[in-house]
Amino acid sequence: MPIVYAILALGALGVVFGVVLSFADKMFAVPVDEKVALIREAVAGANCGACGFPGCDGFAEAVARGDAPVDGCTPGGAKTLTALAEIMGVEAEAGDPKVARVLCQGATGIAKERVTYDGFESCALANQLAGGPKMCQYACMGLGDCFDVCKFDAIRMVDTLAVIDEEKCTACGMCVKACPRGIIEMLPRKATVTVRCQNQASAKEARESCSKGCIACKRCEKACEFDAIHVNNGFAKIDPEKCTLCEACVAVCPCDCITVVAS
Amino acid sequence: MSIFTFRGGIHPLKDRHEGKSETRDKPVKEFVAKTVCIPVDTHLGAPSVPVVKKGDRVLIGQVIAEAAGPRGIPVHASVSGTVTAVGKMQMMGKLPSPCIFIENDEQDEWVELTPLGDVEQAAAEKIIPAIQAAGICGMGGACFPTHAKMTLPEGQTVDTIILNGAECETFLTADYRLMVEQSQRVVDGLRAAMRAMKVSRGVIAIEDNKPEAITAMQQAAAGRTGVEVATLKTKYPQGGEKQLIEAITGKQVPSGGLPMHVQVVVLNVATAAAIADAVKEGKPLVSRITTVTGCVKKPSNLLLRIGTSVSDAVGACGGYSEEPGKIFFGGSMTGLCIPDDQVPMTKANNGIVVLNEKQGKSHVENPCIRCGRCVEACPTKLNPMELRNLLDTDKMEEAEKKNLTDCILCGSCSYVCPAKRWLVASFKEAKDLIAARRN
Repeated sequence: MPIVYAILALGALGVVFGVVLSFADKMFAVPVDEKVALIREAVAGANCGACGFPGCDGFAEAVARGDAPVDGCTPGGAKTLTALAEIMGVEAEAGDPKVARVLCQGATGIAKERVTYDGFESCALANQLAGGPKMCQYACMGLGDCFDVCKFDAIRMVDTLAVIDEEKCTACGMCVKACPRGIIEMLPRKATVTVRCQNQASAKEARESCSKGCIACKRCEKACEFDAIHVNNGFAKIDPEKCTLCEACVAVCPCDCITVVAS
Repeated sequence: MSIFTFRGGIHPLKDRHEGKSETRDKPVKEFVAKTVCIPVDTHLGAPSVPVVKKGDRVLIGQVIAEAAGPRGIPVHASVSGTVTAVGKMQMMGKLPSPCIFIENDEQDEWVELTPLGDVEQAAAEKIIPAIQAAGICGMGGACFPTHAKMTLPEGQTVDTIILNGAECETFLTADYRLMVEQSQRVVDGLRAAMRAMKVSRGVIAIEDNKPEAITAMQQAAAGRTGVEVATLKTKYPQGGEKQLIEAITGKQVPSGGLPMHVQVVVLNVATAAAIADAVKEGKPLVSRITTVTGCVKKPSNLLLRIGTSVSDAVGACGGYSEEPGKIFFGGSMTGLCIPDDQVPMTKANNGIVVLNEKQGKSHVENPCIRCGRCVEACPTKLNPMELRNLLDTDKMEEAEKKNLTDCILCGSCSYVCPAKRWLVASFKEAKDLIAARRN
C-alpha cells in the first residue's frame, strides 16, 4: 500500500512544479534575438579576438545589437561578410582579401647577431634590451610573439625568423598588433610583390647588419614604369594599388629584398 | 637597538656573503680614462640637448648638453679635453643613444664653480635649483632626476627623508665604501636635502651586515639636527623603496602611489653625497663610485668619471680573469646585461659584474611544482605562481586585477624557484604591455 502513497505524493509534487515552471516560463521569458545564433554560426569561430570583442559570442551579440560592423570578422572573409550582411539586412561589399606578411628576411646567417640572447622568449622584452639580439633594429627577432597569438597555426619560426603560411593566414591582424617592431603588415593578397625590409638605418649600417637589407639605392624606383615603388625613410615601399606585378623592381634589386609570393 | 625589516624577501648568495667579500675591504681608487663617451639621455625625462660640437675644448664640469623639459637635467663634461665626436652609441635602450665623445688631455682643469656655501647656512630655496644645475639624478639605479623628486606638487607635504644605504643588491659595495670613507659628505647632503624640503627628520638606513658603515655614519651624524641612523635586517630587497619605507615608518605606499603619498622621500646615499658637493662646492656630478667585480683580476671599488667604458674600467682592475660570459650593469639580481664592453658608465651605474660563461648561462624552465616558495619570498605580497599561470593562459586582465602592476621586479621569486621558472621576466613583459595599453 505505501507504494501508492509514494507515487501519489511524487505525482502531486510533479504537477505542482510543472504548473509553477510553465507559469515562470511565461512570466520571466527573456526575448532572445535569433539573429545572435545565426551570426554565431556564420563567423569564423576561432575566438581569435581580432574583432576586439570578447570572443565570437561577444561579437555576435554586438553585431545583432548594431554595435559592431558586419565586416568585423576578418578571419571569416567574404563568406562571413555576405552571410552577416544578409542576416542584418544591410549592404556590404567584400574588399580585397588580405594577408599578413613579415617585412624581414633576416634569418640566422643573413642578419648579423649583436648578442647571443638566451633570455626570456619574448620579442617585446628582447626589443627593449640594448637594441635587441640582432644588429638591425628593424629585424625580426624570432622569439615568437606573433607565433604565440596566431590562432590559425599560420606562423612558424624558422631560423629566428617568423614565416607566415599564406594559405592558413586569415588576416585577423593579431600578429600585426603583437609585433613590437611593427614589421608585420596587412597587405592585399593579390599584391604578390613585396619589399621585405623596413630598416630606416643608413645604407652603410644596413649593409653591415644584413645581407638582404634595403639600402635605399632607388634602383627599383627608376626601374618601375608605373610609379608604384618609392623610397622613403631609408627603405622602399610598393603601393599595391599601382603595382602591376611586372617584377621589374625584383630584377634590379641588388639586395634581394623584394620577393614574389607564388600564387 | 631595534632592527627594522619587511615581510618576505630572500637571502641571495648567502654562502658567499652576497658576493661582496671580494671588494668589501678595498678602499676607493680613482681611475681616469683616456677617452669618455657621455650619453645625454640616461636620466628619466626628455634627453638633454648637446651644445658642443666636434673640436671644442671643454673643461671638467662644463655643460655639454642642456636640460630639456621640466624634468630634464644638464650633462657635464667629466674630463677636460677635446670633443672628438657628437654621435650615437648603443646603450641599454631600444635605439642608440646620443653621446658626446671627449678625449682627455689630462690637464684636469675645472670650470669656475659657484658654491652656495655651508649646507647649514646656504639659502634653502637655492638648493633644489643647484641640484638641477649639477645634473644630479638618482644614483641607486633608476636615474630619476633628483630635483624633480624633491619638488613636491602643491599641497603635498613630506615629513621624513630616508637615505637608502641598504645596498641589498648582490656583489655591490660602492655605497658601503662611500659611507665608510666619506660619511661626512653623506650627512651634509642629507642636511641640505632636509633644509631644501623643510623636513625635520632624516633617517640613514643601513643593513646590519655593514657594522663599520653604521658606526661611521653614527659618528658623522652625532650633533646634527634631526639626523638618525637606522639598522635594517640584512635581506633582499631591503633597499627597494617601498620595502624600505615599510621597514622604517611602518607605513605602506598605496598601490600605484608614490613614497610622497606616505610623506616620505627616499634618496640614495650616493645621491646625497652628490648633493653635498653641489651645495658646498658647486660641483656638478661628474664621477661616481662603482664596484667592478666578478671575473676580473683585481676586483675593486673605483671612482670613475661618467662615460668611462666598461672595458677601461675592467682594464683598471687588471683585466678579465676568465672569458666573460655576461656583464651586468648593477648587481646580479636587478642588473641589466650589456651588449658589449664598449658601453659607457652612467650616473646610475653602481656596479659592473662580470660573470663567466658557466655562471652566465640561462636556466632551462621546468613546470611549476606548486611549492609556494615564490609566495613566501615576494616582498609585495603577490602570488607569483598564480600570476604566471594567468599570463600563460592569456588572462592579462585577471592578472592586472590581482595587482600584477605592484610587482617591483626584484627577482626574488625567480631566484627561489626550484623549477627555475622565468617568473620576473614574464611579469616585466606583462607590466610593459599593461603600461602600453594604458597610455
